[in-house]
Amino acid sequence: MDYANGGIEMPATSEGSLPRPDLPQMLQMDLDIGDFCSNWAHCDLLSAYLARMVSHNRLDSLLFSNLYSSALNELLETVFRVHGKSGKLECSVRRRDGLDRIELVFPADEETFRVYREAIEKLSGGNAEKLYLEALFTEDEPDASLGLLELGVDYGARLSIDRTADGRMCLVAELALEDEKE
Amino acid sequence: MIAEKTTQAFQWTYNENDQEFALHGSLRPQNAEELSGCISELEHSVANVSGKFYVNVRRLVRMNNVAFQAFACKILDLVHGRSDLNVHVTTSSVVGWATRKFAVLETMSDKITVSEYDSEFYPGQSFVEDSEFIHVLRTQTKLTWHHEKDLLRKHGLKPGMQVADICCGIGDFAVLMQKEFSPDRLVALDHSKSSLDYARQVAADFGIKGIDYVFGDAADMLLEDDQFDFVTCRHSLQVFDRPELILKELFRICKPGGRVYVSNEKNSHCLGEPRGESIQWTYNEVAKLWHHFDMDIEIGPKSRRLMLEGGFEDVTIGSFMVTSTDGDPQGFADVIASWKNLFAGKMASERGDDAAFVERFAKGFDDHIFAALHPKGYAGWPIWVASGRKPL
Ligand SMILES: C[S@@+](CC[C@H](N)C(=O)[O-])C[C@H]1O[C@@H](n2cnc3c(N)ncnc32)[C@H](O)[C@@H]1O
Repeated sequence: MDYANGGIEMPATSEGSLPRPDLPQMLQMDLDIGDFCSNWAHCDLLSAYLARMVSHNRLDSLLFSNLYSSALNELLETVFRVHGKSGKLECSVRRRDGLDRIELVFPADEETFRVYREAIEKLSGGNAEKLYLEALFTEDEPDASLGLLELGVDYGARLSIDRTADGRMCLVAELALEDEKE
Repeated sequence: MIAEKTTQAFQWTYNENDQEFALHGSLRPQNAEELSGCISELEHSVANVSGKFYVNVRRLVRMNNVAFQAFACKILDLVHGRSDLNVHVTTSSVVGWATRKFAVLETMSDKITVSEYDSEFYPGQSFVEDSEFIHVLRTQTKLTWHHEKDLLRKHGLKPGMQVADICCGIGDFAVLMQKEFSPDRLVALDHSKSSLDYARQVAADFGIKGIDYVFGDAADMLLEDDQFDFVTCRHSLQVFDRPELILKELFRICKPGGRVYVSNEKNSHCLGEPRGESIQWTYNEVAKLWHHFDMDIEIGPKSRRLMLEGGFEDVTIGSFMVTSTDGDPQGFADVIASWKNLFAGKMASERGDDAAFVERFAKGFDDHIFAALHPKGYAGWPIWVASGRKPL
């Protein structure tokens, strides 16, 4: 079933593709990473709030908001678990037509960056689905990248990462959540 | 705190008779351990079951991967460990991610099946979600609007309000409200995809902006509490076997101090002359036919009681009669023809009615049409409108 990507070909790609500046920004939120990580519920609250704010004008606002919140929540939960020591977390959301982009910029040391790079490498190979299932049904501790794998495999999200000039990292997810009919 | 409410708000229930374990609400824990109470209850429930065990996630609105992994692994464990056990997972089409997410379970074991709940939940759903039904609705609204336009005002609808039309059908009523009352926000919800497609198409064709058509289950909407000044639900309590559950949802999404407006029929009171007797016989049969499918087309005058019992105050009820003398006798006749088509067609045949019955049943509709179009005739269709305020 691929109603997630509405039939648009969106292979997951790897690091290096900088966010295109062509998608108009809708919202941006800046938080201190320490404040954000002081309470797990922030992931849920923030994703529900942003999803509600960006879901007007969609083919089906409720369905959209539910999917958007689920996707954003996985990204935020991942950042909650894997991030560098201190600094700012910026979350900005952009859109053009049926394509939504979520950009998260946050502190990241080499080890942090590596975790994201490996997750994205898994997605760009031909066996992403198999790797997702392995991560899902593992006997071990859940892998921090499980949410990212799901986004790539299940939501058809295109994920990419990059370093920012100030030494933080940027995690970008591009999603087409609706079947555009018009 | 809200934070706690949003993440912790999930429940589970186990129904032993149906061997069904249901999860509700929002499941976004930080660690799998937070679910241990629920998981052990799940294990406990399964222990006494053989054959098919049902896991119902229809009302699970949010679920992160921590929770999904915990449940997915547990379900897989269960079927691996017990040769006598199969698991069926029921998801909802309203919650966009659910079916895809759970479908991976099917790929892991052929003892697990996953399906989206669809039309079987409400007895009459297959009739009212049928695309043929679109025609019935379209003709009806044309005639009722004539009366309701003024009634809505009397029941408290004003320009600039936050409005929801639940069970909106093909959305024509929402369009009329949009034009007449310019609400600030207008959400129109239905559970028929074909009706919503139709509604969106009409809005696009006529350049009507601002109506938010959403797919949902009126019995359990994703809309939040206390959102709307005015909530309408027309001709729809009558299609559910438990209308009070729908009314509860209407109450929930209405702001304190806002009003819920419902309209309902009592079909056995449809009338016409000449040929009054045949007409009356047929509409009495209509009531029985709907009853057979656990729907109550006689709710009209019961609306007052439903609203009072639903916790509303300042409940007002009234009725109006759509008649063949309102200015559009042919429109009236078209409505009756569309009823005949559905009631004496698909519904009667599904009940297994014999040819003699169907012939007599159909004749009453023809006679009603005859009365409507007769130069000296008169035909009527009564409708009850009730509204009530949600207490502050
Ligand atoms: C008799 S029609 C009334 C439609 C519209 N209000 C009108 O007056 O034209 C009943 C409507 O209820 C919708 N419906 C049935 N079950 C539903 C459910 N569970 N949730 C939302 N809508 C539902 C049907 O799709 C149908 O459009």
